[in-house]
Amino acid sequence: MTSARTTQRPDAPAPDARAQALVASFERAGYARANPAILQPAEPFLDLSGEDIRKRMFLTTDPHGRELCLRPDLTIPVSCDYLASPAAGKPGGFCYLGTVFRHRSEEPSEFLQAGVESFGRADIAAADAEMLALGLEATGHYGIAAPDIRIGDVGLFAALVGALDLPAAWKRRLIKDFNHKSSLVQDLDRLTISAAHARPEYQGVLAALARSDLKGARALVTDLLSIAGISAVGGRSVGEIADRFLEQAALGAQTTLPKETRALIERFLTIASDPDEGAAELRAFARDAKLKLDAALDLFESRAGFLAARGVDVTRIQFSTAFGRGVDYYTGFVFELHDPGARAAGQLVAGGRYDGLLTRLGSTKAIPAVGFAAWIERLAACGSAT
Amino acid sequence: MSAPFVIAVPAKGRLQENAEAFFARAGLKLVKPRGARDYRGEIADLPGVEVAYLSAAEITQLLAQGTVHFGVTGEDLVREMIPDADAKVSLIDALGFGHANVVVAVPQAWIDVHGMADLDDVATAFRLKHERKMRVATKYVNLTRNFFSAHGVTDYRIVESSGATEGAPAAGTAELIVDITTTGATLAANALKVIDDGVILRSQANLVAARKASWGAGERETARIMLDRIAAEERARAFREVRARFPGCDDALLKEARERFGVAAPLGGPTSSGMLTLHCPPARVHALASFLRDKGAAEVTVTDIDYVFARDNALYAKLEAALRG
Repeated sequence: MTSARTTQRPDAPAPDARAQALVASFERAGYARANPAILQPAEPFLDLSGEDIRKRMFLTTDPHGRELCLRPDLTIPVSCDYLASPAAGKPGGFCYLGTVFRHRSEEPSEFLQAGVESFGRADIAAADAEMLALGLEATGHYGIAAPDIRIGDVGLFAALVGALDLPAAWKRRLIKDFNHKSSLVQDLDRLTISAAHARPEYQGVLAALARSDLKGARALVTDLLSIAGISAVGGRSVGEIADRFLEQAALGAQTTLPKETRALIERFLTIASDPDEGAAELRAFARDAKLKLDAALDLFESRAGFLAARGVDVTRIQFSTAFGRGVDYYTGFVFELHDPGARAAGQLVAGGRYDGLLTRLGSTKAIPAVGFAAWIERLAACGSAT
Repeated sequence: MSAPFVIAVPAKGRLQENAEAFFARAGLKLVKPRGARDYRGEIADLPGVEVAYLSAAEITQLLAQGTVHFGVTGEDLVREMIPDADAKVSLIDALGFGHANVVVAVPQAWIDVHGMADLDDVATAFRLKHERKMRVATKYVNLTRNFFSAHGVTDYRIVESSGATEGAPAAGTAELIVDITTTGATLAANALKVIDDGVILRSQANLVAARKASWGAGERETARIMLDRIAAEERARAFREVRARFPGCDDALLKEARERFGVAAPLGGPTSSGMLTLHCPPARVHALASFLRDKGAAEVTVTDIDYVFARDNALYAKLEAALRG
């Protein structure tokens, strides 16, 4: 496992003693050292992180035509190795220190990351809090005593959308777009003006279908598609097409998001303060709006409690309901630690909960997961010399 | 001038014919002194210019590297193959041939999909239902990624395809495609339709300058001469020369003709004997001829123009601006 790194090029960013000491402290905290291969199949990264990552990846092809890449992060390789091991499914924690490769214009494309991944722990709130606490140890290790702590919770937004009285189409869109702030604002706009997108010539048919019973309408649309000689084209079945066509019909009557619903979402997204105040505001918000967000809020408050118990000064944490990390596999708690002087090109430490990832990597059962990564060169540049 | 000025031209097919015809019209005759099969040529009366015959993709790469000065290639390739294209090349002139649109096309059976917003929703629904992402077959990986990203579409995977892309949905290797189309006939034959707001780029052949090539005084002078001829020919092609001579021809009449027909008077206003020379857009020539006769002209002659050499050279100005920037 470790011999792979012994023939390192002299000009590669050799993990220095300080970084080794950091990852050793993770090992002492109970996380086993992982050393995934540098050359990885490209598929999982493209599939899970989205095509946008392709332009930042170093891709190559093996003689059999399989697409490979230099690992652009370590979360997915550590997850894959865990799933392939006999320990898969059991609680397990791993730490790492190694080179990752991403095209970056302002910084070198080959750089070091240290991090921790925790799999299979059922005590969600405590595991979340432990990740942030370990992240703070990393900044502390480099002499950055009081980094900016920014946190969010994708689960809160999911709970809000789940509780809203909205058609399924809008719910899945809002959830998807939460991580892409610009398109979420566009969505809110489109929700109120979506009639502009609809096809006028279909409106009559859609309106008629919307009033008919769903089963009959589905049979009609399916038959029409079959008459046209269409069975399954492009991976979508005729039934799927018919279903969504009718879903559009149902939306037709409701082309605009009710003003109150939009106002609710907007009000929700403006809530930003420290976690304790934020929780109180969210409770008040849920009460006013008569929305049931209890489970998500209980988790949120419990996490804040575990953070306080770990000695984190909760009043220093900047919580925002709108904070996401732009990575679509996060499902719950997300956080970033920044240099208070903003001297780094980006976050020093970042992480979050990604409960869906292991299933998407092939696990047959759901495995909760949470972790973070630390940018070693940035920490070293921003930290004190000792 | 030690190193030659290099212009890269497509090596085969319609693009080559069109490019050669374009340069010939501008008085820049491409010749192959060593025979038709040679991949190196010259310009008949412009010494120091080397013509390199290459594939459009190679031309695009050499332009990005700056190993050729000028090249003829499609805007689709420039946008696809050159990251941060505007920093490396400058599109000097759209040449009016090689038209092709890069479009997003889905199966016609997707009666629920009209716009990119629908596609976005279908992509997410597809992932949730099938536990995998929708596949887009294309050779325009970068154009696709940027366009989808601009529309907030994230739940898709690109399947690189180098030929017969439009067959991918029927073959089951992709759900939809991004490809070029000129008439849409190939798409229709494969039961595909273009998404309403799914035109990524309206592309055509362009004369492209490499900003990173060596641009000494000699190269600039060569470029200036070429662009002068090209601009003169293009301006000539945009107008017909209309001449008439009659007593009622005065400045008021010229003013009215400018407003109604968009004419220019390159040689100034009417002479004392009422002689007037106008440049008129071809579509307005007949209306202008009627107007002039109504005002008293006995005869109006209209001729094609070969060149209009102007003091200002907009194309060369564009090149200079690009080389400064």
